[in-house]
Amino acid sequence: MKNKSNRQKTAEARKERLLSALQDHGINIYEDLDKGKFPQFVIPSRSVNNIVYDKKTRQYVLGNASAVRSSRNMSQLRSYTQLTWLAFFVNRLVREGKSSTLRDIYYSSQAFSIDFEDQPESDNIIVDLEAVTTSPREDFHIFPEERSSVFGDLTIEYTVPGYEGKRVNLSDHPDGYLIGPSLSSAELVDTSAEVVIAIEKGGLFTRFVEENVHKKFKSIIVDTAGQAPRSTRSLLRRLNQELGLPVVILADGDVYGEHIAMVIKSGSANAAHLRELTVPDAKWLGVWATDIEKYKLPTIPMTESDIKRIYDLQKDPRYQEGNWKKQLEVFLKLKRKAELEAFSKYGLTNITDKYLPAKLEESKSL
Amino acid sequence: MSKETFSQISPSEFFYRNRDLAGFSNPTRSLYTSVREFVENALDACDQKKILPDIHMSIKAVDAEQSDPKHYILTVRDNGPGIDPKHVPHAFGTVLYGSKFGLKQARGMFGLGATMAILYGQITTNKPVTVRSCADGKTSDEFVMLLDIQKNKPVILKHNQKEASKTGLSVSIVLEGDYSKAGSKIRDYVSQTSLITPYASITFEDPAGEKFHYPRIVKDMPLPPTVIKPHPHGVDVETIRRMIADTHYQIPPVDNKMIEKIGKELGLKKNLNASELLEKAQKRWSDLSRPVRTIVSVMSFLNIDFEGLQKIRIDDIDVANKKITYWDFGESQSHAVDLDTESPFYKQLANTVQGDTLLTFLTKRFQRVGPTTAEKFCEFAKLKPERRIGSMTNEELVRLADALQKFEDFLAPDPSCLAPLGEEPLSKGIMKFFNPEFASVLQRSASAYSGFPFIVEMGVAYGGDIPPSGLKVYRFANRIPLLYDEGSDVVLKIVNEMDWSRYKIKGDPPLVIVSHICSTRIPYKTVGKENVADRPELERELKNAIQYLARKLAVHMSRQGAADMAKKRANLYAKYVPLISQFATELSGRKKEPNFKQLIRLGSEIEEQIQ
Repeated sequence: MKNKSNRQKTAEARKERLLSALQDHGINIYEDLDKGKFPQFVIPSRSVNNIVYDKKTRQYVLGNASAVRSSRNMSQLRSYTQLTWLAFFVNRLVREGKSSTLRDIYYSSQAFSIDFEDQPESDNIIVDLEAVTTSPREDFHIFPEERSSVFGDLTIEYTVPGYEGKRVNLSDHPDGYLIGPSLSSAELVDTSAEVVIAIEKGGLFTRFVEENVHKKFKSIIVDTAGQAPRSTRSLLRRLNQELGLPVVILADGDVYGEHIAMVIKSGSANAAHLRELTVPDAKWLGVWATDIEKYKLPTIPMTESDIKRIYDLQKDPRYQEGNWKKQLEVFLKLKRKAELEAFSKYGLTNITDKYLPAKLEESKSL
Repeated sequence: MSKETFSQISPSEFFYRNRDLAGFSNPTRSLYTSVREFVENALDACDQKKILPDIHMSIKAVDAEQSDPKHYILTVRDNGPGIDPKHVPHAFGTVLYGSKFGLKQARGMFGLGATMAILYGQITTNKPVTVRSCADGKTSDEFVMLLDIQKNKPVILKHNQKEASKTGLSVSIVLEGDYSKAGSKIRDYVSQTSLITPYASITFEDPAGEKFHYPRIVKDMPLPPTVIKPHPHGVDVETIRRMIADTHYQIPPVDNKMIEKIGKELGLKKNLNASELLEKAQKRWSDLSRPVRTIVSVMSFLNIDFEGLQKIRIDDIDVANKKITYWDFGESQSHAVDLDTESPFYKQLANTVQGDTLLTFLTKRFQRVGPTTAEKFCEFAKLKPERRIGSMTNEELVRLADALQKFEDFLAPDPSCLAPLGEEPLSKGIMKFFNPEFASVLQRSASAYSGFPFIVEMGVAYGGDIPPSGLKVYRFANRIPLLYDEGSDVVLKIVNEMDWSRYKIKGDPPLVIVSHICSTRIPYKTVGKENVADRPELERELKNAIQYLARKLAVHMSRQGAADMAKKRANLYAKYVPLISQFATELSGRKKEPNFKQLIRLGSEIEEQIQ
């Protein structure tokens, strides 16, 4: 019960902090207008030059550079108004406990004579507000349409209006539970699990559920559906921080799979303006390049872009040492890759019967 | 076993049985096709005589109360040259009777379609066609006639004459049609025809009595196309065979006129016997005309006089096998006589009958082939240049045709047989038709695909009265609108491959593209002649044309964009500052809005400075 009150407290605190930040901006703008001064926003710069790797937090962060968006500048007046509108709209969403999606924001703007040319433009303004307030869009109650799932013995308690206090166990529904706004804001009450297994693909997620991986390995299974969305990364972080569960990651045996694991562990450059989305102690179980030979997996040749991606990642500071570095080198040497499904060659349950236990054992020494 | 019988059918019977091929598959399509055939014939006739066309077309229901499909009277009247009354029955009552066999650009081919429409009308309603023609500007001849399908012959039911004041032709048929379904296509056809024929005045009266009038927009007619010889790449074996057949010297008919002619040229007073006659002929040989030389030579080989000559018919002079074949009327049987190669007449006969040498044939009968090219070609084809074409064997002909296709050193086809509309009339037509804010046209220079010359003309129009409902393409070929099968057309393919955003065009633009392909043979994909195939040469020309026009459009768009921006910038602060104020008021939790008037004033000052 201690967790719960903590969670509620931090959530409340975050909400209050956001609302008061928004109100402060509102007051500043109001007073500028009243004084005949052109109001402006100071937005931390998200240009490539201003994104740096922070060894302390073990993730990408923004540097000190920032840009001014002023209503005085005629070419910025429109986007300044859009940003003010978004702050106004988020304020309503959060105060009234309502949720929205990226697409919904784009359409909602039209009712206020705010003309976004297309959704990428409105998405960009949302990132601007994230940078201004240093809060993730989930705090704004704005979620992407894409959703991944979670399954396992985990009891949660909803905090969304109308469901407050209602509890569910995430092993009740075999298709798994969507990681949407309600689940993201729920309290994590209780679990018997000892590990969280994040898996890249929906197909194998289903296989794991069928094979009772959650029971056999006392685990919570999370389908990241490719590169993990922020809400999923945020849930993984909470499972790790609040419930103290180790997080392990299974992805395809290629350079993209390796990077999926890395983003869960230490974030992406796109979200360099945000914190609390990473799981610094997460472990990449596989499929490693060295596993391809060790487990004699069927492979397919890499494409040009796969190889280019390896060279790109070799420049990333996070890939300069240890297993991360070694596996990239082996991938580059093999010039071949293997899907998670490759284990099917040795039977449908080979991956859960043989590979997973072996890798979980191996991970303890990592 | 059953016994099979074979019988020949006439061309009209053939078309009757295969009317689907010619676009007469159902009442809807047939009505549309009939309209096209008559209107196109009328326009072609006016073009040929450089008369500014004035076309009237009407479709009237025989019984308006009936439901579709029903009988309609289709009448098309023009102010063209008319047709000599002598030729009217055959021109409209015979399939495959036409004057368009020469090689030049024309809308219809062979005048086939009009007769097909008449045939279709007759088989669906059993009503005759009425043709009124005035060719001399004084009298007008009216024929009411039916087609005898089996005999491919006209049957004249009525013929009368009237006084007239100007030339022209009017054709009226009764046919089964479905105007409720064909109507929109027919209206599109008429309006688009007026776009690509801006020098014509076209009036259409529909079954409801509504008149669609498209006045003449330009007074100048484009230059008419000239008839030219074929290009070597554009002929096949059958065409060569036909060309040779009419180069090949024909055996002159032996009638009283011919005998009189021979007598005159030889200076004969009385009927001489065979040897006296030949003696006389040899003396005067160089003064004799070709037909007379041929007849006299034949008489020498058959050893007959005039009396004998009148009793036979010369069937074949086969120089290759050294034989003359003739039919003896008295004996009613065929005879063959060997040619004596030693005879002084042999060489003469052989030269006359075997026709031109290959070298002469190539330079005389094809466009842009000179002696040097012809000689190079002969070497390429492994045929002797002095070889007489009349004596070539079948295999040699196939080899010749094959080599004509493959030889690469022929000059490109002569485009003078083409009649593009021209940039100015096209531009005027587009301006009048769409009333756009921007238009640009281009005529590419001539190009060719497999021996057929073609010219691409294209225009773009943007904005103005054009509705913003996305890009629309108007396709024309030889001044005919193409309305069906749009999807698989090469022009559509090229237009869709364009990255319009590069030319500052996005969303559903108010954009129209007019494409006109002129060629002696449009490479249609299907017999329906509604979609053009994607020949690489044609694709390249279309692409160049559209890219050129798109660049022009892009220049206009950026100018337009700059003007729009200036307009947008005006009152920008007046628009946005109140919005900012509204949002900030709620965000700050205040009740009353701030006083932002000062800011709007400052804003308009900034705007003025920039402009």
